[in-house]
Amino acid sequence: MTPTLRIAARLLEKPWLWAFAAAFFVWLATIVFTGGQGAAAVLTAALAFGTFSVIVGIGQMYVITLGPGNVDLSIPATMTFAGAASMKIMDTQDSMIFIGLLVALGVGVSVGIFNYALIRLLRIPPIIATLSSSFVFQSAAIAYGRGIKIKPPPVLAEFTTARIVGIPILAIFTVILAVIMAVVLHKTVYGRSVIAIGQNPRAAGFSGISVGFTRFATYVLSATLAGLCGFVLSGFSGGASLNMGAEFLLASIAVVVIGGTSVAGGFANIPGLWGAALFMFLLVTMLNTFGLGAGIRLIMTGLIIISVITLAGGKSTGR
Amino acid sequence: MNKILTTAAVALALALPASAALAQTADKRIALSNNYAGNSWRQAMLKSWAKVGDKAVADGVIAAADAFTTAENQVTEQAAQIQNLILQGYDAIVVNAASPDALNGAVKEACDAGITVVSFDGIVTEPCAWRIAVDFKQMGKDEILYLAEKMPEGGQLLEIRGLAGVFVDDEISAGIHEGVAENPQFEVAGSVNGDWAQDVAQKAVAGILPSLPPISAVVTQGGDGFGAAQAFKAAGRPIPLIIMGNRYDELKWWKEQKDATGYETMSVSIAPGVSTLAMWVAQQILDGQDIPKDLTVPFLRIDQDNLEENLATTEVGGVANVEYTLEDAQEVVNAAR
Repeated sequence: MTPTLRIAARLLEKPWLWAFAAAFFVWLATIVFTGGQGAAAVLTAALAFGTFSVIVGIGQMYVITLGPGNVDLSIPATMTFAGAASMKIMDTQDSMIFIGLLVALGVGVSVGIFNYALIRLLRIPPIIATLSSSFVFQSAAIAYGRGIKIKPPPVLAEFTTARIVGIPILAIFTVILAVIMAVVLHKTVYGRSVIAIGQNPRAAGFSGISVGFTRFATYVLSATLAGLCGFVLSGFSGGASLNMGAEFLLASIAVVVIGGTSVAGGFANIPGLWGAALFMFLLVTMLNTFGLGAGIRLIMTGLIIISVITLAGGKSTGR
Repeated sequence: MNKILTTAAVALALALPASAALAQTADKRIALSNNYAGNSWRQAMLKSWAKVGDKAVADGVIAAADAFTTAENQVTEQAAQIQNLILQGYDAIVVNAASPDALNGAVKEACDAGITVVSFDGIVTEPCAWRIAVDFKQMGKDEILYLAEKMPEGGQLLEIRGLAGVFVDDEISAGIHEGVAENPQFEVAGSVNGDWAQDVAQKAVAGILPSLPPISAVVTQGGDGFGAAQAFKAAGRPIPLIIMGNRYDELKWWKEQKDATGYETMSVSIAPGVSTLAMWVAQQILDGQDIPKDLTVPFLRIDQDNLEENLATTEVGGVANVEYTLEDAQEVVNAAR
């Protein structure tokens, strides 16, 4: 086997490859349809919007990797509450951006602690605990903001929508965040503990890993990233709204699964999140460009996602 | 002396029907059964209800105007809620329904228990209930009629639709397409679902925009115009005429553009205060008035010349609103007779 072939063969084993391949083909189909028009602009848009799915996707991926039953359903509510609270406190003043960011992250940390308290102290399964806490925090956001959409400070709006040679700055930061979180996942004691617990929590416990603390840290991490996402998304879309998080409940789980991370836990990869986020955006764009009706678009979205997961899943079961 | 007496008698005669009307419903309790509260329109709707309802109670017109909202926007949940309201003995239930037909069973139970049911916005098809409906199709068509007047030469349109599968979305879109069919100088170049949310609309428009020819106008359903403007700006494309939907951020953006470049458009939607129209209709029915079963809600349309006054009265982050008085409600009723 030649070195190139060997590299190609190793690459094919990567579970995240399929998400990128799917994103590429969907993009190709779109620009073939438009005769090459807007090829770069579509990619720019995909990077800009994919960013938000990736930020929450990282947190969701860590949680799902903890093993069966672990999922964070409070992400949309956390985003909404963090976005509403930070926008209200900043009140469009540039000088308050840092404080606004701290508020958004603080909301995230609090939600994470609350979630884990429900799971640990009250022994509520994570799916129920995070769902019920999402009601609490969504209601808090409604009561706090009363549907008021406050504009972000100009500098924050500028920063979240700025781009360098067609690449959104936010996307660059999120790639850096993804790299850091990949290193944390694979090279640190904490990251490896997450994977170990996902593979077998009892064995992980016997080998000296603090299972409780690792799970606690992971739920806090997920909620904190949701808070961060709520903050930057509010800046990007001109303010926080009560339903801004809604689509990220499914999106955060979808990018994890399509990205090749095992739903059963214990195996995770970060690059796939980016591939899947781009794929999800480009898929909707492609179907919109084809001008198909909403019904057909939804059916196609479902079918294409099933095929990609089947392809990606088929490769990872051998491990 | 005689003259004074006559005047007093006339005044009394004139005042009598009104005060009699108040007396008859003074002990009546009205409940609002609402299926959803998670957006600014619904928040404004509940606020208007509370404001007008509290005043009506304080004035002694009705005994109670309580609002109840279900948490999950589920039909089963709202059906259970209506059954609770029946048991609690309300005289009238005003419903913004999660489904046009799935609540019919619960609504029928209420009617059978002698309770007046008035549905609005999200109406129910059960014949025993009153319906205050919105002619969404006409709303869509009005957008094209405005464009036909504004740009007689026509052009390419981008359509932003609402939430796929919801009847309102189908109706508005049908109206738009009917308008386009009658004005063939327009063509719908692309169509995306914006789910009536600025961020969803922004995302969908940003995706399809690179593949579209130059766009002359964007036809919308409300809650999506500001997001569309953001997407055009981000893509560095000239901003077309975007029809707005009365949201504060949309009106504010329009005002900014109007001041900067003389930008012209129009804005149309339903005032959330329609809940108060439904309340007065319920009160009138309890009062024994003969009210037609089907009423239509007037649109709240904002144009270039009344933008400023509407923006000034719209709450920051809210929706342009009109609250109904008893007299306004009677006018709507008389128009339907």
